[in-house]
Amino acid sequence: MERTVTVVPEAGLHARPAAKFVETANEFDADIEVATTDGKPVDAASMLAVTGLTAKQGEDVRIIAEGTDAEAALDALEELLSTPESET
Amino acid sequence: MTADESDTRTFEGTGATPLAGVGTARWYDPTAETSLEEPPPADTVDADDERDRFESARDRAREELTTERDRTAEHVGEEEAAVFDAHRQFLDDPQITDAVEDGIDDGLPAEHAVDRAFADPIDQFAEMEGRMAERADDLRDVRNRLLRLLTDGERVDLASLPTGTVVLAERLTPSETAQLDPDRVAGFATVLGGRTSHAAIFARSLAIPAVVGVGGDLHEIDADTDVVVDGEAGTVIVEPTTEERKRAQCDRRVDVRDDPVATADGRPIEVAANVGTIAELEGAVAQGADGIGLFRTEFLFLDRAEPPTEDEQVDVYREALAAFPDGRVVVRTLDVGGDKPIPYLDQPESENPFLGQRGIRRSLGPDADLFETQLRALLRAGADQAGILSVMFPMVATVPELEAALETVDSITADLEADGVPVERPELGLMIETPSAALLAGELAERVDFLSIGTNDLTQYVMAAARENDRVAALHDPREPAVLRAIEMTVAGAAEGDAWVGMCGEMAGDPDLTRLLVGLGLDEVSMSAVTIPEVKAAVTEVETGEAEAIADRATAAPTRAAVEDALRDS
Repeated sequence: MERTVTVVPEAGLHARPAAKFVETANEFDADIEVATTDGKPVDAASMLAVTGLTAKQGEDVRIIAEGTDAEAALDALEELLSTPESET
Repeated sequence: MTADESDTRTFEGTGATPLAGVGTARWYDPTAETSLEEPPPADTVDADDERDRFESARDRAREELTTERDRTAEHVGEEEAAVFDAHRQFLDDPQITDAVEDGIDDGLPAEHAVDRAFADPIDQFAEMEGRMAERADDLRDVRNRLLRLLTDGERVDLASLPTGTVVLAERLTPSETAQLDPDRVAGFATVLGGRTSHAAIFARSLAIPAVVGVGGDLHEIDADTDVVVDGEAGTVIVEPTTEERKRAQCDRRVDVRDDPVATADGRPIEVAANVGTIAELEGAVAQGADGIGLFRTEFLFLDRAEPPTEDEQVDVYREALAAFPDGRVVVRTLDVGGDKPIPYLDQPESENPFLGQRGIRRSLGPDADLFETQLRALLRAGADQAGILSVMFPMVATVPELEAALETVDSITADLEADGVPVERPELGLMIETPSAALLAGELAERVDFLSIGTNDLTQYVMAAARENDRVAALHDPREPAVLRAIEMTVAGAAEGDAWVGMCGEMAGDPDLTRLLVGLGLDEVSMSAVTIPEVKAAVTEVETGEAEAIADRATAAPTRAAVEDALRDS
């Protein structure tokens, strides 16, 4: 399954938000990938790959998850990306 | 001349700590690229063995990182320790581990596979700008750590050096400096770095003799030779004479004076300490500080998921006041946004954080809630306490900013009083760090009780030269005439506005400049605790009239060289 989410943290998907994103993705069994709207999906469990997307605040990203807990993983990652950093 | 003396050589740099030490030289080179030999033919390599070697190197790297992280957190701070967390994340990055696997599948030994796996990501990040480029350094560190573990490379462990070691290095990062054990390390000297580099500041807080910015000549010193590191003179002496050795051993530590001091002609000068944690209060008292001239409060906010509560802050501020019942404690409100990341704050990456939203600019903007909580805590902490509590705002550039901060204090005071909470209004002031604040010192001073000059930032902004950029380090000197004139202007503004004026930058802790600072008209100087005894001793030798004449000559000088002449000729 797949979901498109707008990046809310001011830093974009970089630094702390990226670290938190990767940490969260690693907590689930599902295979999770993330991509910019027109880009190739990359492994959401890789700090290098996620930082390499250079997704900025206000940009949409696609999150793709396959596996038993895919739904829960998408919920968690969506919430993370939709929360300004100051509230996390 | 004895044979012993003929080998003596002296290298000059910038003294970072007014202490000297003698010991055996040892080079520390964390970034030495491990040079790999050509890989053996693929069919002679057992892929399973190589996978095991990689896994065990990774396990050991993880253990090392945990140890280094904890040690840094303990000795320096959580902020600096966070870099090791990032390293751990890269160590476990599937993109990297998969690439290593691929290399091993291609018949490479583990070390060659690691080298190849990191090459592309390092190049990619190195091409990016600003903070992204720093990730390339992190990746190099992680790669070098793995290569060292895989090739049994020798490594200098900074935390367990033999007693009496003098560490020589190209540069030392804050976390590396933090690992040095002051009981074992006799001193350090670096090729790069200036007096206000983080390594120099850490050396002062750890009381380790240090000389920085010696230049490439330092490489001429061989390991295992005896050297003296004289942070007072800013020299590194190779093969010291018996006399030089003795002088370094007995050191030039001066007696601690617990009482406040005055100049020879009786003008009192408050000599206070800069502290950034509760643990440092004890050291400040032990070195004879009259009070705290800069209490940095960032430590309260770092390394936690939630900001500190009001009550928690009240306790900390009271503890600081209790340490100086007869003195003054100047608390600086939260100063973030420059280079200090805080997890629960929304801090956009900025190409130029020092010219961005930091200090009061955040406190009046996105961090208004934190600011109000901190002020409530400060107003409560001052009530029923013996010492004087003072509060100052960082990075003020305009009168309306100051007025907005003061209005916040007024409205919080009114709120607390309405609730029947005991409140004591602290002394209020601001840091003079921006050229704008120096130019407007009179107008700002009229509205407050005191001004405190932060010379590190003021120098950086007046000279437009970043503190950590070695290529412009020569410009980053508070003895530049423009910086001295900004200080002169600030003192004059303080007098106009009937405010007292102090200084809490590194310049304040240089005993060679004490006379100049008294001559410029400062009422207070605040510094790393280690230099307090020397500055107090220097104050007692100052004749105010003579000092004022020197200050006049220095501020009239057209060049730094002329300023130095004015200081020397006196």
